[in-house]
Amino acid sequence: MDALSYFAISWLSPELLGLTALGTFLGIYVGAIPGLSVTMAVSILISFTFSWDVNYALCLMVGVFMGGVYGGSRTAILLNIPGAPSAIATALDGYPLAKKGLAGEAIGLSTIMSVVGGFVGIFVLSIAAPSISEFALTFQPRDYMMLGILGIMLVGSLSGGSLAKGIFAGAFGLLIGTVGLDPMTAEERFTFGVVELWDGINPVAVMIGLFGISEALHQLHHMNKAVVKQKISRIIPKWMDVKKYLPLSLQSSFIGVIVGALPGTGGDIAALMAYDHAKRITKKPEVEFGKGAKEGLIAPEAANNAAVGGAYIPMLTLGIPGDAVTAVFIGALFIHGLNPGPLLMVEQPHMFWFTVGNLTLANIFVLIFGLTGIKLFSKIVECPKGILIPLIFLLSVVGAYAINNSVIDIWWMLAFGVFGYFMRQYGFPVGPVILGVILSSLTDENWRRAILSERGSLTDLFSNLLSSPLSTVLLFAIVFILVSQSPIWTRWIKPNLLRSKTN
Amino acid sequence: MPRTVYRRPGERVFCFLLVVFSVYLFWQAYGISGFSELSSPGAFPLATSATMVIAACVVFVNTLKLPEAEGVRFFYHCFPPIVGIVMALILIFAIMLESLGFILSSFFFLFVGIQFLYQKSVLTTLTITVLSLVVVYIIFRLVFQVVLPEGIVPEREILAAIEQFWRG
Repeated sequence: MDALSYFAISWLSPELLGLTALGTFLGIYVGAIPGLSVTMAVSILISFTFSWDVNYALCLMVGVFMGGVYGGSRTAILLNIPGAPSAIATALDGYPLAKKGLAGEAIGLSTIMSVVGGFVGIFVLSIAAPSISEFALTFQPRDYMMLGILGIMLVGSLSGGSLAKGIFAGAFGLLIGTVGLDPMTAEERFTFGVVELWDGINPVAVMIGLFGISEALHQLHHMNKAVVKQKISRIIPKWMDVKKYLPLSLQSSFIGVIVGALPGTGGDIAALMAYDHAKRITKKPEVEFGKGAKEGLIAPEAANNAAVGGAYIPMLTLGIPGDAVTAVFIGALFIHGLNPGPLLMVEQPHMFWFTVGNLTLANIFVLIFGLTGIKLFSKIVECPKGILIPLIFLLSVVGAYAINNSVIDIWWMLAFGVFGYFMRQYGFPVGPVILGVILSSLTDENWRRAILSERGSLTDLFSNLLSSPLSTVLLFAIVFILVSQSPIWTRWIKPNLLRSKTN
Repeated sequence: MPRTVYRRPGERVFCFLLVVFSVYLFWQAYGISGFSELSSPGAFPLATSATMVIAACVVFVNTLKLPEAEGVRFFYHCFPPIVGIVMALILIFAIMLESLGFILSSFFFLFVGIQFLYQKSVLTTLTITVLSLVVVYIIFRLVFQVVLPEGIVPEREILAAIEQFWRG
């Protein structure tokens, strides 16, 4: 019964209800406007809301997250520009539908299926998280350390570029997180004798720099992209269509939850996998895939919204973010004095059920805002970049200042913005950096706890590690990622494996 | 992000700088507590900076092997003047923020930025600037209660005067 009352907190308070609605509304636009991303918006929001009561801040940010993942689909359908990476798969069939004059129907259908996906994700979260966090209580410090490293490596290896670039970015993030006084011994680390560095580099400044400034600087390359307007007709989808595609959307949702729950993989990969799944199981599509098949629109949309609930599972139960957005979210929880991890469920069960309730609420708002206000929407999305980009810079600078009312944070933010810009230029992923910053203290502390409990002996550590099934699996997963992307694998092992199969 | 098959201009230098930067950080990490104990405060920074050194070296060597991209110029494709100008503009804004205050510095920043990037008539830019500044001010300063630098504008007095005026 307690759970239910916590669940309903945000439903019953008019302020929280309003903030969730506002967040979702903003999120849809943030997700839809190319050049604005959810990660960017949440990073900036943290700095503006950190003095608020935690519930208020969370309501706004959860709304932005949920709305943003959905919002990306709108521009994917209308303009063939995915507003967010998770909408890349949506554009494949969404835009051809719009070109046929079915933009309204495509938006309506994607809204309904996004909401279905969202509910599946939340449902799985509420079922799975309590037992996972109970299981997580048995984790040893070494397991946490390895989970942290695994998360960074997965994000690094999956974000497209080379694994070495991903590992560099992740290690750099971990190192940024160690700047300041060591929490265990108060020894100075990378402070260069500067007292201002004792508290470390503010993670929010790093986030705004990497996702706000560097992203907006990158956008300057594409200032003159012509926008094609689409006619929007009926929005509410036909009941027949909804019924027909429901099984597919449920299947895609489950793919989404599972992919979302894995560390390192988020909505974008979930959406692409679901698209692939839809392509395989649809034997006789009415319209070919890539030319406006409704299946190809529904599957990724259901999956990427389901991935939101999935991504919350490792975040709330283990304190390990699945991707850049959840890393920023964990940063927000830390700032509000919450400690995501297995103890969160024991010490603050209300936070968990509050989050579940809030996600559900945000999902309902996605449905409401998704099916209304299209006219206004197409006006706002056409907002020229020449106006939008200076505003992003303004908010980033002011946001960085607002964290501590200090100019130093602005300098850090600018430094990381410029560095992040060049990282993007040369194919380095920036996501692992932020994951590293967030996971730094967790990995560092657990490493030291693990090695202290073995009295500093590496041999003891490894023999105990290999005698625990969980630790062994984690270790092998890390080794596998390293080996599978190294030249040894591609040049020697893989051809041999393939040869033995074909023989 | 597409895989870089060709080497972009400046990529070699950037990767080389990363190697130098990583080695410097490794040296700094060594300075924390040396190679004393596996559980020392310096152990984790040493491990991460060592990883950075190795990864940066791998990336650098891989970059050297790549063929140079043809027809791609550093100051056109990688660091066009527009990016440099905007960076300078943000820098000036950040420097002026505390001394001039939020309202004045943001006004100048938005005006110059929008005029430069949107390239419409001065009057249009002025209207957009004032409008967006008012919206940002209301949302962040008045609704979110974010503390913004006042600088030389006596903001509180003006706000108090407006309040007084409305109360009659």
